[in-house]
Amino acid sequence: MKDILILGIETSCDETAASIVKNGRHILSNVINSQINIHRQFGGVVPEVASRKHIENIAVVVDNAFKEAGLGYNDIDAVAVTNQPGLIGALLVGLSFAKGFAWALDRPLLAVNHLHGHIYANILEHQDIPFPAVCLVVSGGHTSLLHMKDINHYAVIGETRDDAAGEAFDKVARFLGLGYPGGPAIQKAAALGEAGKVKLPRVYLDKNEFEFSFSGLKTAAMNLWKKMEKNGEPEVSDLAAEFQQALVEVLVEKSIKAAKLYQVDSILIAGGVAANHHLRLLMKEKAGQENIKVFCPSLSLCTDNAAMIAGIAYQQYITKSYAPLDLNAYPGLLSL
Amino acid sequence: MLILAVDSSTPVAGAALVDEDRVIIESFTNYKKTHSETLLPTVNRIMRECDCSISDIDVLAVTAGPGSFTGLRIGMAAVKGISMAADKPVVAVSTLDTLAGNIAGSDALVCALLDARKNEVYCGFYEVGGTRPEILKEPMVCTPETFLNAALELAAYKHKDKIILLGDGYYRYSEYFNIELKDQLLPMPGHLMLPRAAAAGILAVHKARQGEFEDVYHLRPLYIRLSEAEYRLGKGAV
Ligand SMILES: [Zn+2]
Repeated sequence: MKDILILGIETSCDETAASIVKNGRHILSNVINSQINIHRQFGGVVPEVASRKHIENIAVVVDNAFKEAGLGYNDIDAVAVTNQPGLIGALLVGLSFAKGFAWALDRPLLAVNHLHGHIYANILEHQDIPFPAVCLVVSGGHTSLLHMKDINHYAVIGETRDDAAGEAFDKVARFLGLGYPGGPAIQKAAALGEAGKVKLPRVYLDKNEFEFSFSGLKTAAMNLWKKMEKNGEPEVSDLAAEFQQALVEVLVEKSIKAAKLYQVDSILIAGGVAANHHLRLLMKEKAGQENIKVFCPSLSLCTDNAAMIAGIAYQQYITKSYAPLDLNAYPGLLSL
Repeated sequence: MLILAVDSSTPVAGAALVDEDRVIIESFTNYKKTHSETLLPTVNRIMRECDCSISDIDVLAVTAGPGSFTGLRIGMAAVKGISMAADKPVVAVSTLDTLAGNIAGSDALVCALLDARKNEVYCGFYEVGGTRPEILKEPMVCTPETFLNAALELAAYKHKDKIILLGDGYYRYSEYFNIELKDQLLPMPGHLMLPRAAAAGILAVHKARQGEFEDVYHLRPLYIRLSEAEYRLGKGAV
């Protein structure tokens, strides 16, 4: 069978990314232009600034994806693009570019849900994940548990009621003056401290065993910090370590509980927070005790990228699930 | 020279095919639908209607601003994609120039006004004695009052009795402008009041002849205004 080459385009947040993936598996190029340094001076992603950077960078990023793969524009079979969820103005840049590019090449357009892409990042790297599985999707915008029959069929069994895990990391990091983005900042500070020296609650929500809530933990961390400051000689690294521990423990415990209830042998972690070392370690340790295998993408595929977009779109290409030219972008999640 | 021109810089969505000084087809839609949904289907439709394929096109034209930030990016991103895939050069035309291009052969001072929200307008000032608008002053974003003072000053300096106001920026503050300008205001019919892709295409023919092509890899909209966050940071564009 002929190889299928798909160009993926991703602009849902603050990364302008393009990638070419062969047969949904082999990454031929993976180009990412990150705006982190620009948004850092604002203390978080500014949607209008992100959109402005996307329109400036999109053409160069796409061109580089072809150069890195050693391919011409005409060599690709389809164009896949993230059209939800994300910052609407940012999504529209990638979507509009993808439409123009696909239309002018007379190639099909494929619409991709960004979170499906994150989940698929696991498939890109691990050839034989045993399904069914439980997947923990953790990012700046989402914290969800999925029960997956296979990569294309799954049900949401729990979500966060308030802040997403990544959002809690960002807010607490900003409050503690640790900088942006919050996940890596807290992880770095936590490495110098010790969890348990100060105490934060673990929020399990007994009645809804697979739902999450992080806003209480966030507030508790902020209040504790104020108290520590008042009492003198506060150690920010100890608070960061305890905060990370409290958040990660809940994520891990609920994931394993779900895996046991649904009797699956594998847990997948997806999304930007999947890059957190402590989450990866603790999940592997605790799941290992239950003979459950844990899969997570390598660090470079945890954060936003277009390889995951081009990868998951392969199935849509095969089933001819093409998107129409009037495809729109959606900021919120219609369905996971 | 066959030009495909697109405009999505204001609530109007437009696309046109222009061959030299001849408009072959134009689509003008001033109706509530998002440009992201309508722009490419519109381009696709007008091309089909004229049995035209992308390989027949010589130059792509896009209105580059000022205008709605998101609207500008939708049009420009689509044109960047088409340009790269089909290897066609791009000409960028100011949205204000495009508006002024609706009028020709008049002694009046022509002002193109786009609603910039926050009680401001983007404005451009033109002389339109010939077939192409001539820019008299750098475009700016300001309150309707500041604009009007600048327009009156320019009209006096250029000995122009009449002033033509075009664009949705006029509609937004029409009551104020009508009262202030009275007989000095020369009203225009509705079909000349909003940007037309055909006008952008006609202007683009001239720019293309002058070799005024854009570098697609670095082309960005003409916003005039900084983003809120950049403005607060007080350092200029990041
Ligand atoms: Zn993401």
